[in-house]
Amino acid sequence: MSDEIILDIQNVTKEFPGVIALDQVSMQVKRGEIHGLCGENGAGKSTLMKILSGVYRYGTYNGRIIYDGEELKFEERAIHQAMEQGIAIVYQELTLVPSMTVGENVYLGKEPAERGAINWNKLYADTQNILSRYGLDVEPQAIVRHLGVGKMQMVEIAKALSENARVLILDEPTSALSEAETDKLMEIIRTLKNHGVTCIYITHKLDELFRITDTITVLRDGKVITTQPTEELNVEKLVSHMVGREMKERFPEGSRKPGDVIFEVKNLQAEDPNKAGRKVLNGVNFDLRRGEILGIAGLMGSGRTELVMTLFGEYGKITNGKITLEGKTLTARDGRTAIQDGLSLVPEDRKGQGLVLIQTIRRNISLPNLDQFASFMRIDRHAELNACMEHAKDLAIKAPNLEIPCDSLSGGNQQKVVIAKWLMSNPKVLMMDDPTRGVDVGAKFEIYKLMNELAEQGVSIIMTSSDLEEVLGMSDRVMVMHEGSSQGTLDIAEATQEKIMALATGIA
Amino acid sequence: MNLFSEIVRQFRKNIQTYTIILAMIGIWILFSIMTGGTYLSAQNFSNLFRQMTVTSFLAIGMVLVIVTGNIDLSVGKAAGFVSVVVAYLQWYVWYDIMPDQPFLSALLSVLFGLLVGTLFGVLQGYIIAYLQIPAFIVTLGGLFIMRGGILIVTAGKTIAANQPYLSDIAQGYLPPIAGWIIGILVVLLLFFNMFRTRKRKQEYGFELASIYMDLLSTGFLSALVLAYVFIVNQYRGIQAPVLLLAVAAITMSYVSNNTKFGRYAYAIGGNREAARLSGINIRKNIFSIFVLMGFLCGVAGVVLASYVGYGTIAAGEGYELDAIAAAILGGTSPLGGVGTVFGALIGALIMSSLTSGLQMMNVQPAWQYLLKGIVLVLAVYVDVYFKRKQ
Repeated sequence: MSDEIILDIQNVTKEFPGVIALDQVSMQVKRGEIHGLCGENGAGKSTLMKILSGVYRYGTYNGRIIYDGEELKFEERAIHQAMEQGIAIVYQELTLVPSMTVGENVYLGKEPAERGAINWNKLYADTQNILSRYGLDVEPQAIVRHLGVGKMQMVEIAKALSENARVLILDEPTSALSEAETDKLMEIIRTLKNHGVTCIYITHKLDELFRITDTITVLRDGKVITTQPTEELNVEKLVSHMVGREMKERFPEGSRKPGDVIFEVKNLQAEDPNKAGRKVLNGVNFDLRRGEILGIAGLMGSGRTELVMTLFGEYGKITNGKITLEGKTLTARDGRTAIQDGLSLVPEDRKGQGLVLIQTIRRNISLPNLDQFASFMRIDRHAELNACMEHAKDLAIKAPNLEIPCDSLSGGNQQKVVIAKWLMSNPKVLMMDDPTRGVDVGAKFEIYKLMNELAEQGVSIIMTSSDLEEVLGMSDRVMVMHEGSSQGTLDIAEATQEKIMALATGIA
Repeated sequence: MNLFSEIVRQFRKNIQTYTIILAMIGIWILFSIMTGGTYLSAQNFSNLFRQMTVTSFLAIGMVLVIVTGNIDLSVGKAAGFVSVVVAYLQWYVWYDIMPDQPFLSALLSVLFGLLVGTLFGVLQGYIIAYLQIPAFIVTLGGLFIMRGGILIVTAGKTIAANQPYLSDIAQGYLPPIAGWIIGILVVLLLFFNMFRTRKRKQEYGFELASIYMDLLSTGFLSALVLAYVFIVNQYRGIQAPVLLLAVAAITMSYVSNNTKFGRYAYAIGGNREAARLSGINIRKNIFSIFVLMGFLCGVAGVVLASYVGYGTIAAGEGYELDAIAAAILGGTSPLGGVGTVFGALIGALIMSSLTSGLQMMNVQPAWQYLLKGIVLVLAVYVDVYFKRKQ
């Protein structure tokens, strides 16, 4: 790392009708450093990245961007231009074609060709070069669909690097990765740094910022709050910069007293519904008390999601075991009966599974609950709107009204819509699969507060999470899973990160 | 808020609906000028609406099929098959058994036609929803099967279906006085519904639109209805098939907006996975939609037989494409999740307005197809362009 500035953003302002997304933003990135960028959703991170990558053309914003001594002016074919100049972006959502090979994906849109015919040998050889140069452990000929998420992320990086990238922008690269995969990614980023690549690292995960970055810039409401060397910061300072207020605790205080056991799962075993004989759950035992929050911890692939989806009746084929709710054994199951029984599921993938994004907030909230205001012939739309408004108010969903489509909401608000949808069904047991994934700090706190309130009202909550601190901060008890079976349940008083990890890795 | 700005706001909100209506009015004006006014004469206006009915029955079902992310390629030939079955029953069966019972014959033919269409829908729906074979393939097969069915029933010949009562379905007219009664009833209903909605909203304490705005839009709609009655009464009165279509379209529109069944269809098309995890029985919903589509094919087939007055081997040829085009033109998204019955009707009306106008100007069929193709793509382009600008 030198003190030379590779990217100098000077007073950039970007306005949308009614909103100033970026307000006089200035920041400097030094050559060869790993520069962290953080801020709540809506702080302006994505807008800034879109300007740097040429999605918003030169002239649609005010201010100057000096890159390697020259002013950046993206015009037509801006994305190609950005790549040619060595600015590469890895987006949060994977942008690979699953049915193609790694090589085809890496060179998609820039295939080496002679007289119109693709030179496949060169393509695969070049792919191999890039992969081995940066220590990416993937086969060039492998079909992307067969890779895990972690490897897909590597392909994504290789794709971004395939032209001689000098600046690599990573937008929330670890949101779908396991701990081990995250470690591997960190290693790769350090390798890139050693090769002289400058990195801008955008994330919600504060611990990652401290692990890997040299400098951190905090954005809030479209303004740069601070740019500081990482060693001068700590979590408390960073959070207070992000939310603009002192935030002593990440988790709100709750005062709940769990009651009797209402939900019990005994020796639950289930198979993959698409692949007979493949066990996804192999002996899960736990019980849940009224008004209790039970955290479910476990590594990626330990069966957390499979467990809640199976309990909801929409995934695994149950081969053995017993599920009882308030003394009643639950048998033949699907989502509809689960809802009627009083089980609800906030699914893991908000956009893919939780919401019909093109539809309005009202329609999403009422979707599983139409029986409450509809006969066979008619939906009472006024009663529907009234009920939706009450729930939207309880959850403080930020929207001008309930008739706007969900795809225009921020991640945190979308998650609140999903939660509202399931609260309306009056669940006895609310299952939340990684409920704060991709949600900003402020909205996270609100969701935690809501969970506490619900538990105090007597709703029992099962929360899976990939964030150990969240599990420890929110749960009354923690159940740990490993390879599809429950390894044990820890009382919160005795639970520590070390004990959970020991159970989760199967060494305890 | 003043009334004018409220109108502008409402217009902006529903810009897609209004652009397509404006496009239609534009087409009408253009043809009127080019035909020296005869295009919008009472007689032609009346025929224009009568001509659109057969495809419209198919289009209003097609909207829901496409909304769930499916397609039905068999509807044209299925309606054609129903029409030749009706003709066959009329000519070969009932006439031999009960030559002096024209009303009963027609009634039985209609019921049979509806049954055949519905059963076909049950079959296709079962295969698509429960055996999980893509609708594109199943209904493509259905198209071939129905084409074969038509040849079997007709044995290659044309069968007359111009018997009394049956003819009236597509060729009958209501006496002018009945037209006025219906028109006035509809207007009363519109105003009754407006005031009822306002009252319900008040009960829940929701914000009300200004009373003038509501009166204005309801008044405008009422004026359209009465103007329609006035014009068609200048010729021979309200057309029986148009009345049938109106009833079917209002029912379908109601079903798609105000029932769980309709709501679920849009959710499935918008995000199948989210719908599944909301406890919706996807298979049952898609099955029901194809059954409904089959029933509408039955209705279209009966109207078709009555309209042309015979059953022929070419019955229903290409109607599936007209129905799909009408739905798409009316704003239905080919990706699923979006579309309205009302839009499909306007789409069908635009297609039939074009055909009628071009025929009046003696444009050759080859050029008619060419122009229709261009209009379809152009209309969707304009829509996409405006959406992108927003």
